[in-house]
Amino acid sequence: MYSLLGGIFLGWSLGANDASNIFGTAVSSRMIKFWTAALLASVFVILGALISGQAGIETLKSLTSFNISQAIISSIAAALTVSVMTFLGLPVSTSQAVVGAIIGIGIINGQLNIAGLGKVFICWFTTPIGGALITITLYKFLAFGYNYLKIGLFGSDQLLKTCLIISGSYGAYALGANNVANVTAVFVGAGTLSIFGAALIGGLSIAFGILTFSRPVMETIGKKLVSLDPFSALMVSMAVGITIHIYTIIGVPVSSSQAVVGSVIGIGIIKGASTVNTHTLKNILLAWFLTPVIACLIAILITFGSYLKYTGK
Amino acid sequence: MFKFFFKQENKVEELIYKYLENFQLICENFEKAVFSCIREPLCEEFNFLKEQTDKYESKADDIIDEINNLMYGKVLIPDSREDIMKLLHALDKIPGYLEIVLFMIKYQKLVIPEKFFKDIQDLIEVSLEACEALSKQIIGFIKKESGTRTLMNIIDKHESHCDYIEKRLIQKTFSSNIDPFIKLQLKELIICMGDISDQADRVSKMINILSMKRRV
Repeated sequence: MYSLLGGIFLGWSLGANDASNIFGTAVSSRMIKFWTAALLASVFVILGALISGQAGIETLKSLTSFNISQAIISSIAAALTVSVMTFLGLPVSTSQAVVGAIIGIGIINGQLNIAGLGKVFICWFTTPIGGALITITLYKFLAFGYNYLKIGLFGSDQLLKTCLIISGSYGAYALGANNVANVTAVFVGAGTLSIFGAALIGGLSIAFGILTFSRPVMETIGKKLVSLDPFSALMVSMAVGITIHIYTIIGVPVSSSQAVVGSVIGIGIIKGASTVNTHTLKNILLAWFLTPVIACLIAILITFGSYLKYTGK
Repeated sequence: MFKFFFKQENKVEELIYKYLENFQLICENFEKAVFSCIREPLCEEFNFLKEQTDKYESKADDIIDEINNLMYGKVLIPDSREDIMKLLHALDKIPGYLEIVLFMIKYQKLVIPEKFFKDIQDLIEVSLEACEALSKQIIGFIKKESGTRTLMNIIDKHESHCDYIEKRLIQKTFSSNIDPFIKLQLKELIICMGDISDQADRVSKMINILSMKRRV
């Protein structure tokens, strides 16, 4: 059980940080109460992990072979990377940190599944692009229908609120299904957990993070991102859910933060406005490159450190 | 749709319609009060109708307070909340102007000279027609009905007409041989009457902007 602590910590921090990508806009702008969002997100994250989490777990465990100590090292390396990047104020992707740490272990083992890694890299690259494209398509189709809908101000308000709750729950389901692999896949690779056990423990630890520590992030995310009108916020929320779900079907854990940024850029393209400033973009690109590299280096360093022996004197 | 989950929102909607009904009552009482004053300055009927207008104006304030309380309790999504509060705040200035006109007539003991009767009546009638159209425009905006743009054009026309009457009245006032002090009092009264249609026009244009803003 103690060997799982690194993974549980990673799941907790993932829940605390990434739930804001799903419900953050709605909560920070007070369209939905925090506890409604947190409870829905927790339930659907667990359901997503249990029902659709298997594909991602299979992909990550196939990247290299692990023993139990390497599984622990990779989860600690990923958790440390997430902490360092958060400390540096850079937008961090838990998926990239985990894959970076697995690559580090793979380098030590001299065994890396290059085809699997190629698939993961392509998915990382296409996540924000996919987010933007899905947002643009959704916006174009749904805005047309929304403008011609014969419902009044209060009706459209209720419709948007209801759709935000549904799309947020769907996004949480997709997040659980996609990101549970980051939390416990290495332990499946090491033979410590079954896939069902990994999905359950991973889902529960993410939900624990959402319930205990996501409030400050959720309540401030709207102030950090651009303020979107309610319809655009709904489109972003739906697009993030769909984007993550697509990658869940492909079986690659991706970053919900990058999907959100892609979606917000998509809204900017539609409205002809700059929705994300260049400074934020630079930070995203920097973090995109640094996260797997740092995680890989930390995993290698910890592995070497674990080989050191005290010889006395 | 999902009415059960949105009790507070439905309450706000009901309160807005209640406010608009009350707004109509204020306008009706105001019109009767001014006309009674024209017929017989500072009569009992005028005092009674002024009191009625004040009563409905105070009821309007209570409704606005109730809506504000619900709004500050985070009913509706922020954009709709902002739109409605902005709209009601602007609309609520009109009963204020109506109250000021009656207040001026009563406490400055204003007697409208006979030669201004026709113009004053016209000014009040056209201003209140603008208010009536505004009330319909607000309902149209809330229910997303067609024709709000037509109503805006009607209000705009009424406002231009009121401006014309207002200028003519001021001109007439200063070219007449009444006491200069009374002239100033009348000028103030006419300007305040003119503010009614000006504000109706401002609110009407605000509704048009809000309608356009709400399109995605």
